[in-house]
Amino acid sequence: MNDFSELENELRNLRPARPSPILFERVEEALMDSGAGASPARQPRKPSGLPYNWLSFGIGLAAAAVLVLFAAISMERRHERGEKIAQISPAPETSAISPARRDGSGVQGSTSSNRFIPAGATQVVYNTRDEGLQFARGSEQPLRRLRYQTHQTWQWRNPTTGASLRVSYPSEEVVLIPVSGQ
Amino acid sequence: MDNVASHEDWKSCFSEVAPGLLLFARQWVQSAADAEDVVQEAFVKFWRRNHNIENRALLYAAVRSIALDFIRRDRRRARREASAFAEAEPAMEPQFEWEDETQSALAAAVGSLPHDQREVLVLKIWNELTFNEIAGALGISQNTAASRYRYALANLKKSLQPQ
Repeated sequence: MNDFSELENELRNLRPARPSPILFERVEEALMDSGAGASPARQPRKPSGLPYNWLSFGIGLAAAAVLVLFAAISMERRHERGEKIAQISPAPETSAISPARRDGSGVQGSTSSNRFIPAGATQVVYNTRDEGLQFARGSEQPLRRLRYQTHQTWQWRNPTTGASLRVSYPSEEVVLIPVSGQ
Repeated sequence: MDNVASHEDWKSCFSEVAPGLLLFARQWVQSAADAEDVVQEAFVKFWRRNHNIENRALLYAAVRSIALDFIRRDRRRARREASAFAEAEPAMEPQFEWEDETQSALAAAVGSLPHDQREVLVLKIWNELTFNEIAGALGISQNTAASRYRYALANLKKSLQPQ
């Protein structure tokens, strides 16, 4: 194409005729009639370019913020509910102890944290009295009658909480001992 | 014609492309007034449809299509121009503004080119379209556009050589 470069320059120096000024007026009138006087590359962007994109972005951001807010509120409510449950749960177990102490039947029904195991039992004989020989009904061998007066103490312990329960009461016991003839 | 898309409104865009469009339209219509009618209709149609102004091939394709419709609407005129093409191709002479006899001779030589070569030359030299854009505007292959351009230059060079 180098052979034609000079010819191409000469052709470019040859200028086409300019259009008449009337042509501009005619085109302008035609464009005004159609309302399309703006630049084709800019016209679709001007009304809906940046504002539209920012509007979409803003709506999306607001929706995301609302979702995050709802999630935070929901989590907070769950957390509060969980704390209430944790605070309430020991209460029935504690209250279960009291009737057990009163009627003596609530220990078995309690949970493991409320379970009391026997820790000890003592029986103190503070008085023994010999009430003599006697013959039991239908028996030919005499029996010695002994009366023991004791004080018994029973003790339970909760290994989880370390609580202890002790019950003490006086008792009296009569024992018949056979007497062998010598 | 730098970047047509950078222009703010149709006036600056049109003032830049109008001379080349008119010259291109005169490949089919004889008078300057008819060429202006064709260019006006094509440009307004192009602008209304909000085509990307960077796609210049569409604009020139619109000029070509409207020019052909213009010819079809006036059958007598179409027959006259068709006979002019067949009998004497130099009859359709582009309109140039020449300053001396050298340029006048050059303009006459351009007018004497075959029609298919001349329209490629007009699009390439005075409208600065690429061969790809020319191919799109004329509905031909890029290689055909390039070869027609080379033939046009060769014919011009041959016709301008001193006898």
